[in-house]
Amino acid sequence: MKYKDYYAVMGVPRTATEAEIKTAHRKLARKFHPDLNKDADAESRFKEVGEAYQVLRDPEKRAAFDALGTGLKDGDEIRPRPDVSDGFEYHGAGGAQDTDDFFSDLFGARQRHAPRSQSFDWRGEDHHARVSVSLADTYNGAHRTFTLQMPSVDDQGRVTYQTRTLDVSIPKGILDGQRLRLAGQGGAGTGNAPAGDLYLEVTLEEHKQYRVDGRDVTLDLPVAPWEAALGAEVVVPTPAGQVTMTVPAGSAAGRRLRLRGRGIPGNPAGNLYVVLGIVLPQADTEARKAAYNALREAFEFDPRANFYG
Amino acid sequence: MKESDPVYLQGDIVEEHVEFTLIELCRVTGASEEQFTLWVNEGAFEPRGARIEEWRFSGASLRRAVTAQRLTRDLQLNAQGVALALDLLDQIDTLRARLARQDDRGDTFETSCKP
Repeated sequence: MKYKDYYAVMGVPRTATEAEIKTAHRKLARKFHPDLNKDADAESRFKEVGEAYQVLRDPEKRAAFDALGTGLKDGDEIRPRPDVSDGFEYHGAGGAQDTDDFFSDLFGARQRHAPRSQSFDWRGEDHHARVSVSLADTYNGAHRTFTLQMPSVDDQGRVTYQTRTLDVSIPKGILDGQRLRLAGQGGAGTGNAPAGDLYLEVTLEEHKQYRVDGRDVTLDLPVAPWEAALGAEVVVPTPAGQVTMTVPAGSAAGRRLRLRGRGIPGNPAGNLYVVLGIVLPQADTEARKAAYNALREAFEFDPRANFYG
Repeated sequence: MKESDPVYLQGDIVEEHVEFTLIELCRVTGASEEQFTLWVNEGAFEPRGARIEEWRFSGASLRRAVTAQRLTRDLQLNAQGVALALDLLDQIDTLRARLARQDDRGDTFETSCKP
């Protein structure tokens, strides 16, 4: 099993008092709570802090952890002393924390639930999972297959995870953060009671070209100076396929063109915004330098005319 | 039906097509009815309907309710604390969205396209 320094996780010295550990836990739990912190690693940090606190708050578990000694580094391979892993019973933290291998090795503990009585009809539990879909999926609707880890309670009351494959129809127009309810796809009921529901929280995958804001989608489009100045018909990729769009003559860099109703479908559908970026060609041959010089001579143009006040 | 032709599950988009009773919302989130009543009394949730049995929560309440339940469980917040945190999270969401739009504030022109 791999060692993890719970004191370092909590940012407290090994001599910390119970009160100091409690304060450190409160601060870190607020800092890394996944509902309050959108960083990608917040959830794993939050779980790590919860796991460390489960050990350090409890004098017996803390003593067992301290008995492993100092001088170990995270990831060091250790063998618990035989008397360490016995005699510690871990009661679940109300389902809040998944514990990792080090913790369960140390305390011999997967979270245990009381075996559920079979003599009543209990509706199955509702389950929640997170899935990601692409922008094209929400534009067109899609059929997607997801692999989910579903918790289930066995006869001894242990929670085990089973892999489950689900074929799901993604409705056209679903937005980032929305949830899809699949009736009867949650935990099984007991007796004659129905199964629970499964809620899939949808995340829209980031796309390198498109930015999404609700149903509106924005795209940066590179254009040549003459296309911006003289107007042009240009081919624009949209998540629903290519379209030919008119760039009005006299467009400046940063001009935002709206294609009404070409955003994410809905009632009403969003808009697609195309933001023009002017790309300058390189003056890398004599002929091209001459072309720029001709441009200079044709315009008595001072881009800093109003710049110096 | 051929075996290679799976049945795709059809779901409802909760935010658009679902309303919850108090009992349903408690079941989905794992919060107790007492807890929810406290949150409603703080104004953190505004169900339709006068009496508790008539309360109907919008589908969009689910997301807030899941957050409220997790904050209560993980940070031991009371109802006032949860109501305050939900309001502040709404403000952060609004500001984040506004920040993301900062780059896209150029003048907007209508244009047309051909498919």
